[in-house]
Amino acid sequence: MKLLTHNLLSSHVRGVGPRGFPLRLQATEVRVNPVEFNPDFVARMIPKVEWAALLEAADTLNLAEVPREPTEGYEHDEDFLRKMHHVLLEVEVLEGTLQCPESGRLFPISRGIPNMLLNDEETET
Amino acid sequence: MSDIQEATNKLLDVNLHENQKSVPVTKENGTKNESEHLHITIGATVPTGFEQTAAGEIKEKLGSSCKISKDRGKIYFDISVESLAQVHCLRSVDNLFVVVEEFKDFQFKQTKEEALKDFEDLAGKLPWSDPLKVWEINTCFKKKKTKRKKMSQNSNKEKIDNGQGDKLDGRDIRGFTDSALDSHILDYYENPAIKEEISTLVGDDLASSKDETDEHLKEETAPQVLKFRVTCNRAGEKHCFTSNEAARDFGGAVQDHFKWKADMTNFDVEVLLNIHDNEVVVGIALTEESLHRRNITNFGPTTLRSTLAYGMLRLCAPQPTDIIVDPMCGTGAIPIEGATEWSNCYHIAGDNSPLAVKRAANNISSLLTKSQVKESKSSWGLPIDAVQWDSCNLPLRTGSVDIIVTDMPFGKRMGSKKRNWNLYPACLREMSRVCRPGTGRAVLLTQDKKCFAKALSGMGHVWRKVHTVWVNIGGLHAAVYLLKRTPQAFVHSSDQEGERGTPW
Repeated sequence: MKLLTHNLLSSHVRGVGPRGFPLRLQATEVRVNPVEFNPDFVARMIPKVEWAALLEAADTLNLAEVPREPTEGYEHDEDFLRKMHHVLLEVEVLEGTLQCPESGRLFPISRGIPNMLLNDEETET
Repeated sequence: MSDIQEATNKLLDVNLHENQKSVPVTKENGTKNESEHLHITIGATVPTGFEQTAAGEIKEKLGSSCKISKDRGKIYFDISVESLAQVHCLRSVDNLFVVVEEFKDFQFKQTKEEALKDFEDLAGKLPWSDPLKVWEINTCFKKKKTKRKKMSQNSNKEKIDNGQGDKLDGRDIRGFTDSALDSHILDYYENPAIKEEISTLVGDDLASSKDETDEHLKEETAPQVLKFRVTCNRAGEKHCFTSNEAARDFGGAVQDHFKWKADMTNFDVEVLLNIHDNEVVVGIALTEESLHRRNITNFGPTTLRSTLAYGMLRLCAPQPTDIIVDPMCGTGAIPIEGATEWSNCYHIAGDNSPLAVKRAANNISSLLTKSQVKESKSSWGLPIDAVQWDSCNLPLRTGSVDIIVTDMPFGKRMGSKKRNWNLYPACLREMSRVCRPGTGRAVLLTQDKKCFAKALSGMGHVWRKVHTVWVNIGGLHAAVYLLKRTPQAFVHSSDQEGERGTPW
């Protein structure tokens, strides 16, 4: 699971709504995979990203390079873009958990795939 | 002289209006100079209903305009033969053939005997030589590809040829049937991530080719007569003959003309005779197995053709950095096609079945392995991820997804019609929640059109149906619906959510 994906995931436990974001990340195994750097892609993706959530996740994984917030004129700052590219796309959580911040429900990540299925009671109408 | 050359030489004699070279063709590339400027018409079969999207891809990548045949699922375009490698890289076509001749309005005789006699007479009059040259070139690619596949397992050699890929033979093979072109075919078959440099390199390489004998062709050509078959497809009500009869008689004449051997299963040349009402097209096949299963190594029970997946993705016109989600991905055919062709978008493949997600993840890994072989670096990643989830309860932020593309369970081999009555509305609702209002869109394939129409009917405030493509999936009449997400924000039905209509 890449951090960009984590940024989109939200808990859908019944009754939780938007308070289900962001999921608390905990990783026991992480891998870094180089991905072709596309500065345009990164620059355009940054406004779509929920920054606080990204920061929190990156901190959990001890990715020291993440700035506190996008710097002014970031679109042309290649250094910054490369760092964000690395954080968003190159770091993969292979084993770990995602936790709903509201209900505490844990979702396992196994072999890089988060399992977000709820059992019937948790989703029952 | 190889037998192919003998056959080709015969044809050069037959076609008096052609630019004849009296070069005794002992060297393959003796034909190089005239071949370089060879312009040919290529026919392609595409998933029915996606002729326009295929035409769009061809215009974009080859610059050629397409003619869409009334014979459904077929399109035609002209190229110069140097572009042949790129043609094999097209992602929306299932099968390719080179056109020998097209008759727009073939006047069939009234009786069967006379009509079939016309086909017999036709065989000797057709302009075979150029198409056969193209077939030759094309065959060389395929042979080298098979040989290369075996060798790539053991070989570490990376003789750089214009900066492209592996030269696994010790010999420096130059000439028209060229290694640079080969490596592009190789790319196509083994590395779905095609780079833009192809056309430049093909041009460069042709220009720098030396006059050397292509030993390969001679070696690999069986020292026997060519084997062929004729495949006839006939559609229309007014014909007084069957496709089998036409194939048989036309085939007989072809055999007499070339002195080839007829073999229905183990053939070198497949001659196509396509008849649609009064339109007759004679072609030579350039692909054996269809190109459409290229990305998938782990199949599931209902894996979608990659060409269809490509067509569906193209329909929603992905923009750079679009977030593209397949909430019922199965083996991941659609997101994988997306990640290779639209690598400036981000793709998420999700399914509730652990087996499906596992297969999807395996297919993604296979993709990565292929690019690893090519780049010979440590494993490279792609902008794609897999998640196990319930499509009726997506664990995604509201309004965060730009495009949803999926192949919904038909209710035949997967799921059931009864289940669909609950599944479709729930899915559509959840999709409307996660899809970005105003700019978001969805492309959905289903055969259960009735159920879909009913589910959609209550959702006019969030989904607007823009376009429908009628397709044929394994004999089933299915539809691909292109929906646009209206600007209206999603309203949660219950108060428990705590938020009303505020996308966050």
